[in-house]
Amino acid sequence: MTISDDTLMAFADGELDGPARAAVELALRADPQLEKRVAEHRALRQRLQAAYSAELFEPMPERLLSAARRTPDMPRTNVVNLQDARDAMARDAARARPSQMWWRPVGSIAASLIIGFGLGYASWHQSSPLTRNGGGAMVASGQLAEALSHQLAADQSPASTVQIGISFLAKSGDYCRTFSLSGAVSPAGVACHHGQEWQIQMLTQSVGSGDAPGGYRTAASGMSPAILKAVDEQIAGEPLDQSAESAARSKDWNSTQASP
Amino acid sequence: MNTSETSQNIHEQIVALLPRLRRFARNLTRNPHDADDVVQIAVERALVRVDQWRRDARLDSWMFKIVRNAWIDELRSRGRRDKIFLAEEAGDHVGIEPIESETARMSVQAAMARLPEDQRVAVGLVLVEGLPYKEAAEVLDIPIGTLTSRLARGREALQALLGGEE
Repeated sequence: MTISDDTLMAFADGELDGPARAAVELALRADPQLEKRVAEHRALRQRLQAAYSAELFEPMPERLLSAARRTPDMPRTNVVNLQDARDAMARDAARARPSQMWWRPVGSIAASLIIGFGLGYASWHQSSPLTRNGGGAMVASGQLAEALSHQLAADQSPASTVQIGISFLAKSGDYCRTFSLSGAVSPAGVACHHGQEWQIQMLTQSVGSGDAPGGYRTAASGMSPAILKAVDEQIAGEPLDQSAESAARSKDWNSTQASP
Repeated sequence: MNTSETSQNIHEQIVALLPRLRRFARNLTRNPHDADDVVQIAVERALVRVDQWRRDARLDSWMFKIVRNAWIDELRSRGRRDKIFLAEEAGDHVGIEPIESETARMSVQAAMARLPEDQRVAVGLVLVEGLPYKEAAEVLDIPIGTLTSRLARGREALQALLGGEE
């Protein structure tokens, strides 16, 4: 019987088994030329592997390591570590990225513009706005209020419109949570639960460089420096871990019930 | 296995794959800076879409495919194909030269760089990264027959460039 070159190659690569493999083995015994071809195929593989093995031991750039270790959007681990977030931020700032992203904090007037326009870009349903004016303060409503009240950082889908970051008890005595919103403008902010409402304490807007329209948006931008700073200023103690977050939710984020 | 445990694992599994992803990306892009950018984009994409990874599928194959797609997107967004320039460059010194054994590593890579992209990537996946034919064909979205023919032609070209012995 004749053995095709492709079959011989597949044999050399260990791709054959059963009768196909047995047939080639039989043919090899009868034909030293075939055996030589198989040996050549195997030698080439070994030569390639030897030539490329050194690359596996090169030092790995920090930016690739941190990309692999980072959780998309917002931290979803059980215990959010602020120091890790700060470190990640410093690394992000230090590295050159193919697509840059800038954050800027916005004042209250600009914030209402973002709510008006930015959230419009972010494909909000007009029928259920995410914020409303609550006695002079901007308070969460609709999907945002829903997520702030019910979504736990540890088990949210990356696909959710609202991503919850960290939850913490503020010095004011209110529970606060950081959030980010998906969409072209990707607003993010801090909301604190006060008087049965989520008051938006601050809002930031991320601005893409525009060189990749509709392109991939980095997942690294969960907590901007401005938000981190706001959390640092307001936080009393450490961020809530998963069980504390869950417990706070079950009390409807009412901190006074925790310490009567 | 709970969600957080799984996600912890995936990060470390991807870290462990980084050297191979980087090597594959270099083979694909033929430019170390492009390779690192593409790996970074691919890792970020993979983590966002980790729910789409079938747990019975090989993580390396899945990641190689994301790397390749990221590179295709990158080329599209640049609106040009680097390989055209590189192919011309490589064409300047086509011809079989005697290979000194101490330069064997460089010659293998130089020979690889002369292969057409289709063959180079097939050879990279199967002979360098060690994927079975079936996995490599899935990474490239091609039938197994196409994969084996690219692999056979790539091998033949490498044998011709490198000679039978070191």
